[in-house]
Amino acid sequence: MSTQVLPGPVIKLIEAFSGLPGIGPKTASRLAFYLLRAPQEQALNLAEALQDLKARTVLCARCFNIAETSPCAICQDETRDASILCVVEEPLDVVAIERTREFRGHYHVLHGAISPVEGIGPEDLKIDALLERVRREPVREVLLATNANLEGESTASYVAHLLKASGIRVTRLARGLPVGGDVEYADEITLSRALEGRREI
Amino acid sequence: MGSMRIHHLSLANFRNYTRLELDFSTPLTLLQGDNAQGKTNLLEAIYVLATSRTPHAVAEREMVNWLALEESFPYARLVADVERAGRRQRLEIVVAPQNGEGGNGPTFRKQVKINGVARRALDLVGLLPVVLFLPEDIELVSGAPAVRRRYLNVALCQIDAAYCRALAEYNRVLTRRSALLRHLRERGGNQDQMRFWDERLVMYGSTLLARRQEAISALEGEAQTRQRALTQGREHLRLRYLPGIDLAPDRPEEEVLPMLEAARIEALFGEELRAGREKELAAGTCLYGPHRDDLRFLIGGRDLRLYGSRGQQRTVALAMKLAEMAVMTQALGEPPLLLLDDMMSELDARRRAALLSTLNGVPQAICTATDWSDFDEGFRARARCLRVVEGRIEEAERSA
Repeated sequence: MSTQVLPGPVIKLIEAFSGLPGIGPKTASRLAFYLLRAPQEQALNLAEALQDLKARTVLCARCFNIAETSPCAICQDETRDASILCVVEEPLDVVAIERTREFRGHYHVLHGAISPVEGIGPEDLKIDALLERVRREPVREVLLATNANLEGESTASYVAHLLKASGIRVTRLARGLPVGGDVEYADEITLSRALEGRREI
Repeated sequence: MGSMRIHHLSLANFRNYTRLELDFSTPLTLLQGDNAQGKTNLLEAIYVLATSRTPHAVAEREMVNWLALEESFPYARLVADVERAGRRQRLEIVVAPQNGEGGNGPTFRKQVKINGVARRALDLVGLLPVVLFLPEDIELVSGAPAVRRRYLNVALCQIDAAYCRALAEYNRVLTRRSALLRHLRERGGNQDQMRFWDERLVMYGSTLLARRQEAISALEGEAQTRQRALTQGREHLRLRYLPGIDLAPDRPEEEVLPMLEAARIEALFGEELRAGREKELAAGTCLYGPHRDDLRFLIGGRDLRLYGSRGQQRTVALAMKLAEMAVMTQALGEPPLLLLDDMMSELDARRRAALLSTLNGVPQAICTATDWSDFDEGFRARARCLRVVEGRIEEAERSA
């Protein structure tokens, strides 16, 4: 596709969109032309949202979640239980766990998982900060809620080993059947995990 | 009756087939055609549906017809209606670009469906067990160790779902563990990270080692019988398993390996990783495990890969394929589907006869030949004879 005939600002926006994950050149031009034809207000709202994204968010210095203030609202909430710490890979995982309304402790966001293939080692994550927190704060239990894939498991196993030395209680999210899932259609690994983790009712 | 069968094959844009609908109405099907008309492609299509992979490790993209690659949405589709133990199933593989768009040259992805429901590739394996005979099977004896590992994997995956799962997991762990070793070599880092990957490598790897050891012993017995028959009792074939970890660290090399329990293998594997840590860190890759397995074929103590004649290597390769067939038949309770690609022209009279008698004992076989005369008249009279011409298939006249 020749973009030579287009004005500079349009090309610049197309290129900016193209750099985003999951967006190819076609989608990028479609978005750019949509905004070109949209009301002024819509384009400005988007620009403002983008600016605020960087200008008005911070990483919480305690739990490393994305927030407007540091410490974040969760860390400041004194009704929450400071003795239990839930360790997750990404800020969106905090959102997911908060939606359950079941967890009233504090969080710690690692910002990724150990991934040898992508060259991400423990030093690239907030693991040292986690150990430091556990030393300083009155934490009695660390719940490892990393993903149930190889990267998540290896991260959990690595962190668990470091924490075990301090004698703290280390737990892991249970794995098994999804709610609403048919036993018949579950894959063998999920099903065998569900059997291992069976409970009395 | 409940024997294993493929009833129908449907292809769209697979290699040189733009469209194909083919019924398999008889136990024996014979496909004749000149070179490069699509005989091998047809057998490969069935093999891909049976094992979820091509017989030679090629890119997904190469399955798609080159004319279709020019179209806006290039894809290949393979469907087989199969029956096993009275149960009919539809196996389907679609090879298509990963995302609708995305730069130059899309990457192709394989999607698997069973009875219309999306499944993992490994759920497909074993639903239509096959054994494929190819002229290049001789490489099993003369070729690289990877050919022999592939031979073991294809047979074992089709009869043992647990093996198939362990293999898939092992390969995933292997890539990551090698990446970590490379990372530690190049940039350093905390070696505690190895613990998790060591555990997983040992866990899945030991399953593979134990099962291979068992299978090789069964294959040896069957291959010995076949080899004796093919050589009029002159040659006694021995197989020697050379595992990628030392399973007998305290024994001299010449001794036969003891059959080991999985738990014992796990312990030895773990010890080997600990002892070889420095070596692996220096190499920056995984040095120990079943991905380094090999197999030796010995007659009178001579290693046939190095010292066997072409003819001898070909005979042993045939004996091994017939043994694969026998071991699969025992495990499945019935013979697998037999696919023979242009085998007869390569073989002398005695080896032909051995293969033909195997053909006569199976519920279904599909064979190709460049010359009708590769198969005798009696065989041709019992088989459905088809001609392959430029990616199309037509009924052959009786007289041919």
